[in-house]
Order: sequence, then C-alpha cells, then structure tokens
Amino acid sequence: MRQSPLCSATKVKVSALHEKSQAELTQSLDQYKRELLDLKVQQVAGAGASKGSKIRDVRKNISRVLTVITRKNRDSVIAQYAGKKHIPKDLRAKKTRAIRRALTKHESTRRTVRQQKKDAHFAVRQYAIKA
Amino acid sequence: TNKAQAARKAALKGVHGKKEKKEHTSTTFRLPKTLRLARTPKYTRTATPRFAKLDQYSILRQPLNTETAMKKIEDNNTLVFLVDVRANKRHIKDAVKKLYDVDAAKINTLIRPDGVKKAYIRLPADVDALDVANKIGFI
Repeated sequence: MRQSPLCSATKVKVSALHEKSQAELTQSLDQYKRELLDLKVQQVAGAGASKGSKIRDVRKNISRVLTVITRKNRDSVIAQYAGKKHIPKDLRAKKTRAIRRALTKHESTRRTVRQQKKDAHFAVRQYAIKA
Repeated sequence: TNKAQAARKAALKGVHGKKEKKEHTSTTFRLPKTLRLARTPKYTRTATPRFAKLDQYSILRQPLNTETAMKKIEDNNTLVFLVDVRANKRHIKDAVKKLYDVDAAKINTLIRPDGVKKAYIRLPADVDALDVANKIGFI
C-alpha cells in the first residue's frame, strides 16, 4: 500500500506490541483512538489533504492492538485451564456440532465381552490363492 | 439390660420415628423456604469477557460544522455532534466530559432521517462554545 511521505500514522509493528504489558497496551489503544477522533474532526474541518489513508492506518492499528490484547488474555486463560477437565466453551475445539456429539474414538471401539469372544473364535478368515 | 432395652425400642421404632404434625393456620400452602446455593462454576463460559464496545471514543463520532451548527455555536453556546445511535444523553455527557473536559449544561438529541443521532450539547454560560470548538479543531 502506497504511503504518502507526510503520513504521521505509521503501521505499528505487532512484534513491538507483543513486548508491551497489558497496561501499556490499553494506553496505546487509547492513544490511537484519540488520534482517530482527531483525524475525524480534521476531516470535518476540511483542512488540507484527504485523511483517508491516515484514518485507515489508525483504524488498522487499533485492531492490531486489540488483537494482541485479546491474544494475551486468551493465552493466560488457556494456561490457567491447562490440564483441567472443564475448559471454557470458546476455548474448546469448534469442529462441527455433529462431530462434537459423536462417539469418541475410545467409545466407538468398545466391544462387549461376548463380541470379543466371537471375534476371537469366529474371525473372518483371509484367503489367498496360491499362484 | 437398660442398654439392650433401649436398643430394642429403637429397632422397633425404626429410623423415621415420630413425625411432628405442623399446625397450618391458613388454607393455602405456600412454597417453603429452601436452601439456595450460590453458583460455583467449574469454568467460565467465555474465556475473556468482552471489552465495552460503546466507549467514549465511539460515542462522539464527529462534530457538525454546517451553517446551522455554526449558528448554534455562536448564538446558543451549543456544540452539535453526530453521535452513535445507541448512546443516550447520559453517555454523551460523560463522553464529552472525558474527551474534551467540558461539562454539558443540557443535551438534546434527535435521530436524523438517515438514521444518525444528532446531539445538541449546550455548554454552561461560563464556557464559550466557540473556544471549545477551536480547541477541538473543527472550526
């Protein structure tokens, strides 16, 4: 994406965001939102060049910061529930409704003792024709 | 044998023993008060609670600087803003306070025919709307 040389809103680097703490992230979030507000006001005032690209950059920056915040929160929750039996539903595998309700691998391989004996004694024989 | 007698009696009586007949003073049977335990969930339903989407930044969308709006600023000491539709007057007052550090004397809102909410934010007499508008930057 072409960026004009006068563009003050640069794209924030996600790697830089990951190093920040939660408090710093919320602070930078506020900062970007403030910037967005000011840009919108400037746009209304009609001052100078169109602010479209700047506004776009700031909006994307806001979403980058929010993504990092959410990612960090979720990671800490996942770590908290690691190894536990019941975990929050949005951390469980989504797959499909039907798959989630299907028998587990273990459950579907269960055989009764009667069936086991049948399989042992009266197994389906494999034949091969001698060439 | 006292102990034996007592044991025999208890065995004959059985576990339930004597039931006390409660005296009902009214003909209606009301639901008795039972133990209600608070919830102790084994897991939170959503991993992280959602952050507030209607914060002060998303309430005030943009100020208006149309001719009528400018008249309002000069004559009536009010600012005119386009505002999120879900915001109410209390939200707007709060947002203006947080963002621009001005108290609002009173706020009137209306929803424009194109679905956007407009807020007329009257400022107290000691504050000049024109100054505030200049400070915000949309004059």
